[in-house]
Amino acid sequence: MHIALSYQSGQPIYEQIKYQIRAQILSGELEAGTMLPSIRMLAKELKIGIITAKRAYDDLSAEGFLYSVQGKGVFVAEVKKDDLTAYKLEKIKDMFEEITKYAQEHGVDKETLTNIFKQILGE
Amino acid sequence: MYSLEIENLTVAFERFTMNATVNIRKGCITGLIGRNGAGKSTLIKTIMRQQDASAGHILYDGKPFKGNEVEILNKIACVFDAPHFNVALKPKRLFKLYKSIYPQFDAELYEKLMQKFQLPSDIRVNKFSFGMQRKYCLILALCQKPEILILDEPTSGIDPYDRGNVVELIQEFMMDENHTVLFSTHITEDLDKIADYIVIMQNGKITLNEEKETICENYRLVQCAELTEELKKYALGVQKSMFGYTFLTKNKDISGEGLQIKVPTVEELFIHTLGENKQSEPFEDL
Repeated sequence: MHIALSYQSGQPIYEQIKYQIRAQILSGELEAGTMLPSIRMLAKELKIGIITAKRAYDDLSAEGFLYSVQGKGVFVAEVKKDDLTAYKLEKIKDMFEEITKYAQEHGVDKETLTNIFKQILGE
Repeated sequence: MYSLEIENLTVAFERFTMNATVNIRKGCITGLIGRNGAGKSTLIKTIMRQQDASAGHILYDGKPFKGNEVEILNKIACVFDAPHFNVALKPKRLFKLYKSIYPQFDAELYEKLMQKFQLPSDIRVNKFSFGMQRKYCLILALCQKPEILILDEPTSGIDPYDRGNVVELIQEFMMDENHTVLFSTHITEDLDKIADYIVIMQNGKITLNEEKETICENYRLVQCAELTEELKKYALGVQKSMFGYTFLTKNKDISGEGLQIKVPTVEELFIHTLGENKQSEPFEDL
């Protein structure tokens, strides 16, 4: 498992951890059944708060990417095909959001933006 | 679950009165921040029974100090703003002394940490540099094997390399979920990262006690060239520079052309809420 945190990106730390672990699960880099470090170990290794680490794991568990076994630890769950699709769609949405933000900052209006996209799609 | 429950704790000096009510959560790291003279050290000294309170009370793991003195003193260790032992002694002597006072003193850990921080055992502590003294105090506190560790500015005067080591030690200590850390700081970046809860102290009072991530997320730090009437409605703690304005806002959905928006760090939150500007609101508003 690799995690690289950025304090300049403005993205909350727990989200950065969440996205990176999730990406590695979806890409198959982290196989189902792999044991992950404990919350406190994760916090220590990344030099972050315990609650921050817990939040990342909790969210990933709620989304079905991780599961914990009492007294044993946190493990990577089996990923369903639907999750993969949802993840990709979410990623595309993120990219669009970034583009929209850039356009707004540079005074490009909605119509121009839509036209550019239509052009790319060949409509 | 709280390790420390502090209620209405009052200490009155001629020019300063502390009146603090705050609960410190077990299993978490709490960062106590505030300007010089806000009462951080007074609070820590009162918790450690080095300062008498004229009113109020403290519960340690749910128990009052009276009647549980030995249990509590064995459970709690502190790094004060200055060494609380005879600094004319050499670490060699202090080691023996501490070992005789604290039954659970960890000699193995002591040796390990003395090496890690490269501290000499045969030089009087008063000949140590300020940073070396701080590190030595931390070693003594950790080797007492406490459950509650209280640190008054643990990284002040320590070089960046060893500051990293100090942070690592605090986090290693926190691997046990029954452990609790309370530290005061002027917000050095590394401590800001590892804290779970932030307590802000101002003029002897606790003005904020919240989960770090939540407080930061509830605010946005905005930079803009012009402070329009519309923006003024939301702006807190406005600071002006030659090139524009920086302010804090609780309006998370703020957007607009030419605005640079980000989630503030604890330090930014702290600075802007204490801004001199009249537009900034008092802490009650947090």
